[in-house]
Amino acid sequence: MMLYGPLLVWIAVSVFGPYDVTQGQYSKLLYVHVPTVWIAYLAYTLTFIYSLLYLFKKNPKYDSLALANAKSGVIFTASTLIAGSVWGKFTWGTWWVWGDARLNLTAILLLVYLGYLASRNFNNDLERTAKNSSFIGIFGVIQIPILHFSVIWWRSVHQQASILSQETVASGDAPMSSDILTTLLISVLLVTLVHVFLTKRFRINADKTWEDYLNPKTRAKI
Amino acid sequence: MKKNLLLVLFGISLIVFASIRIASSNTIYYYTTTEAIDNITEISSERIKLGGFVVSESVSKSSIDETNFEITDGNKTIKIVFDGFIPELFQDEMGVILDGYFENNIFYSDDMLVKHDNEYISEDGETYDVENYSK
Repeated sequence: MMLYGPLLVWIAVSVFGPYDVTQGQYSKLLYVHVPTVWIAYLAYTLTFIYSLLYLFKKNPKYDSLALANAKSGVIFTASTLIAGSVWGKFTWGTWWVWGDARLNLTAILLLVYLGYLASRNFNNDLERTAKNSSFIGIFGVIQIPILHFSVIWWRSVHQQASILSQETVASGDAPMSSDILTTLLISVLLVTLVHVFLTKRFRINADKTWEDYLNPKTRAKI
Repeated sequence: MKKNLLLVLFGISLIVFASIRIASSNTIYYYTTTEAIDNITEISSERIKLGGFVVSESVSKSSIDETNFEITDGNKTIKIVFDGFIPELFQDEMGVILDGYFENNIFYSDDMLVKHDNEYISEDGETYDVENYSK
């Protein structure tokens, strides 16, 4: 319930929100594309922090948190790719541009964290698995600044950032109508809530796996 | 403990090094009109991507599937002959990236991408700025 509430409100906000007059109705995908990728950034940053903590403190709690955030991050990265692709089809005129750095880097980001999730099943020894996966969680985060600045470093199709750009931060003046900006920020808030409840759910599962692993009775069964 | 830390630092520096190398190698996806005209002898023998903004009121149809227009980067203007799929957003002053080749200083293309900017203006048209917001 806690999860579906913000999810439904977010969908409603995206559907009924204001849109860019030049781009038309499809520019409402902004409310999906941008918040999901921001929360993916956040999720992977948390995975990075918890992976580091796990590596140095070896407390299963941190591994569960790293895993839960990575799972949520993968869901949001996939969402941003799908929303972006549809948006691209109806504005640029294509689903995908192979030469675009930002698009390719986002696809790689998804693959790396799918790799993180896959690495969870490489080994039955959960302690070793957690340690190995934490390296992916730590290195993976370096992609985020590269991905974010890719539109400045490489000239391509994807437009510059509207909010998280130097100009906007310096001038406090986003190149957006105020109603679009407000709707976007509300969407970001709602997606953050979705992320919080999603990770909570994933964490319960991860904690259970650790309990089974650490409990001598259930461990013998495995 | 110490070995882990060293490994982490090594990995991070490796990736940072690699990305700086890639970033400084000046990869471009398309030529601006000025760059294209400056290098026209070298690039006229190959297919390239050319980007620019559609010059206002330059769009005209010469036949059913051929569209003529001009694009500019604000400095130099190039005549375009286009036959191919035109995205719905194509219009005056819109950014486009065209794939094609030069012949007699005219660029022939059959593949267009519309590159929209990072501005989002809604129907009420009110732009967000600090003074406007405090009113």
